[in-house]
Amino acid sequence: MTIDTEPLKSVSDIERTTLMTLLPGRIATMLGGRRWRSLAPLAVLIVLCVLIAVANPNFIEVRNLVRLANSAAVPLTLAMGLTFIILMGSIDLSVEGTLSVAAMVVVLLAANDSNGNDFGWWAVLAAVAAGTVMGLISGLVQTMLRIPSFMATLGMWFIGLGLSVYMLGGSAIRLNDASIRDLALHRFLGLPLAVWVALGAFALAAVIQYHTRLGRHILAIGGHEDVTKLSGVNVTRVRIAAFALAGFFFGIAGVLAAAQLGQSHAVIGDGRLFAAVTAVVVGGTALTGGEGGVVNTAVGVLIVTVLANGMILLGISPYIQQTVQGLMIIAAVALSLDRVRLKIVK
Amino acid sequence: MNEGFSIRQVFEGKWTQGAIPLVLLVALLLIIEITAPGFLTGETLALLFANTAVLFILATGVTFAILLGGIDLSIQAVASLASVMLAQLLPSLGFAAFPVAILSGLAFGLLSGIVHVKLRVPSFVATLATGGVVTGLALWVSDGRAITIEEAGREKTAWINATLAGLPVVVLISALIGIVSFLALRYTRFGRQAIAVGAGEPAAWAAGINVDRTKIIAFAASGMLAATAGVVLAARLSSGSPVLANQLLLPAIAAVIVGGTAITGGLGGVARTAVGALIISIVRIGMTFVGVNIFLENMVFGAVLIAAVAITIDRSKIAVIK
Repeated sequence: MTIDTEPLKSVSDIERTTLMTLLPGRIATMLGGRRWRSLAPLAVLIVLCVLIAVANPNFIEVRNLVRLANSAAVPLTLAMGLTFIILMGSIDLSVEGTLSVAAMVVVLLAANDSNGNDFGWWAVLAAVAAGTVMGLISGLVQTMLRIPSFMATLGMWFIGLGLSVYMLGGSAIRLNDASIRDLALHRFLGLPLAVWVALGAFALAAVIQYHTRLGRHILAIGGHEDVTKLSGVNVTRVRIAAFALAGFFFGIAGVLAAAQLGQSHAVIGDGRLFAAVTAVVVGGTALTGGEGGVVNTAVGVLIVTVLANGMILLGISPYIQQTVQGLMIIAAVALSLDRVRLKIVK
Repeated sequence: MNEGFSIRQVFEGKWTQGAIPLVLLVALLLIIEITAPGFLTGETLALLFANTAVLFILATGVTFAILLGGIDLSIQAVASLASVMLAQLLPSLGFAAFPVAILSGLAFGLLSGIVHVKLRVPSFVATLATGGVVTGLALWVSDGRAITIEEAGREKTAWINATLAGLPVVVLISALIGIVSFLALRYTRFGRQAIAVGAGEPAAWAAGINVDRTKIIAFAASGMLAATAGVVLAARLSSGSPVLANQLLLPAIAAVIVGGTAITGGLGGVARTAVGALIISIVRIGMTFVGVNIFLENMVFGAVLIAAVAITIDRSKIAVIK
C-alpha cells in the first residue's frame, strides 16, 4: 500500500510498453485511451441496465426502481465515507464496526423495547457523533501510533463490533421511535426519505471533494504523500480529519440501516464492508490513492446494486450471485483502472 | 525526520526488532499465568498449539502474498471450499479426497495470481473478486448447507485428530508446513526473489527477476496452504461448510502483521508469522481464561490487536505509513 516509485522512472517506461500490448490496454487505446477509461464504469452501468431491462422488463417498473434506490441508500452513504479514505491510499476496515455502533446508539437512545429512553432526534445526532468519534479514533491511532490504516481500522472494527454487541446484550432491540422509522417508511416525491438522506450525503461528499481544501489535500496525499508534506500540508491533520469524516458518513449509514431494519442487532453490519469496497473499486477509484472520487463511487454503488437486483429479477441462484459479482469486479477493474499511470500493480 | 528513526536508534540493530513479537508473546503468557494460574501446563499448551494450527497454516499462506507487497483476501473462501470438497468427496473417493481438495486450492491460488499479474488488477481487488467467485462455487456445490462427515468418512480423517508421540497430529502438520515454508523462503530462488520483489519491485525487475512468475507462485502457494487449512479444519470439526473459515481471514492477516512482517512487503517471514499466530491465539484463549465478558471479547481483542501492532511493527523500512 505504500509504493516508492521515484527512483526507477526508467523501468516504468519499459512497463508502459509491455502494458500497452495487453488486451484491455489495447482496447482502451483503440477507443481513445484515458478519457474512455474514465467513462468505462458508466458504460458498464448502462450496458448492465439495458441487458437486464431487455431480459426482464419488470426492471424498469417504477416500483422496482424505488426498491433499487432504497437498497442503494445505505451502501451509497457508506461508500462516500470510504472513498475519501481510499483516495488517500489508505483503507478503512472499520465500516461494519462503526456502522453497528451508530445503529446501537440510535436504537438505545430513541424509543425502544429495552430501556425507557426517548430522546427522539437527539439520538440520531448522538449516533452520527458516535460514528465520527470512532473515525476520529481510527485516525488518531493510525497517525499517532504510526500503524498502517489496514491494522488500525481492523482493530477498530473489532472494538466497534464488541462495543455494540455488549451494549445490546447480544440480542436484537427494536426501534420504536416513529419519526426515525419514517426515514425508511415515509416517502417524499415517491422516494423514501432514506434515499434523500443518501443523496444529501452524496452531495455533501461531492462538495467536500471538489470545493474544499480538505478534499484537495486528501487527493494530494493519495497522489504523493511526501510531496504533499513538502508543500506544507499538515498531512497528519488531514488524515485524522479524513478518518473522522468517513466515520461521520458511516454514522449516518448506521442510522439509516437501523431505521430500515427497525432494529439493531449484532450482525447489522455483516457484509457491508466488502460491498462498500467493491462499489468504490468498481467505480474506478484506485486503491493506491489519488485517482477517482465520489462521483465514480456513486456509479460503482449503482453497478453493484443494479447487478444484485438484476440477478434476483433474472432468477439466478443466490449461490451463484457472489460468483457473478466476483467476475464482474475483475471485468470492471481490468477495463477501467487507468493502469498506465500506475507504475506498479500490487 | 520522524519518530520511527528515533525508536530505531534506541533499539539498534535488526535482531531487537525481530525479537519484540517474541518478547510480547512471552509477556502475554506470563500475564495470563499470573491472573489465572494453571495456564502454563503441558495440556493447555498442547491445546493452544492445536487450536493455533489452522490459523497458522492460513497465515503462512498469506505471508507469501504479503511479503510480495500484495495481499490475499480469498484464503477464507478457498479454505471453506476445500472443506466442502473434502466432506463431499470422502465417501466416493476415500483418501484421494485430500489431494483433490488441496489441489482445488492450488488451482484457485493460480487463478488469483494470473488475474492479478496478467490482467494487472491489484491483488487486493483480484483476490477479493476470486474470493467471491470461490464462495459462490462453494455455496453452489454444497447447496448452501453444512455437510457432516459421516462415520465412514470420519475413519479417514481420524488420523488428523490423533496424537503422535504426545503431540496432536495437527501441530505436527503445521510444524512441517512451517518448516518447509521457512526453508522455501530462505533458501530457494523463489524465496529470495519473492522478498526482493516485496522490497522493491522496480529494482527486482531491473535485476532480471521474473516478477510475474514469482507472484503467481506465491499466490498459488497461498491458495494451496489455505486449502490445506480448510481440510484440517473440516477434519477437526467433522464437517464442511461454505462459510466454515469466514471468521479466519482477518485474524490470519493480523497474525502476519503482529508477527512483524511489514504489510508493505519485503520484510518478515514464516517464523514471525508463527509468533504472530500464537499471539492472536493466546489473546483469544487467554480472554476466556482471565474471564473477560463474552460480549466484550471482540472489543478487548481489537484493542490488544492495535497495541500489539503498535509495539511489533518495524517502522524503519516503511517510507510512508498509509
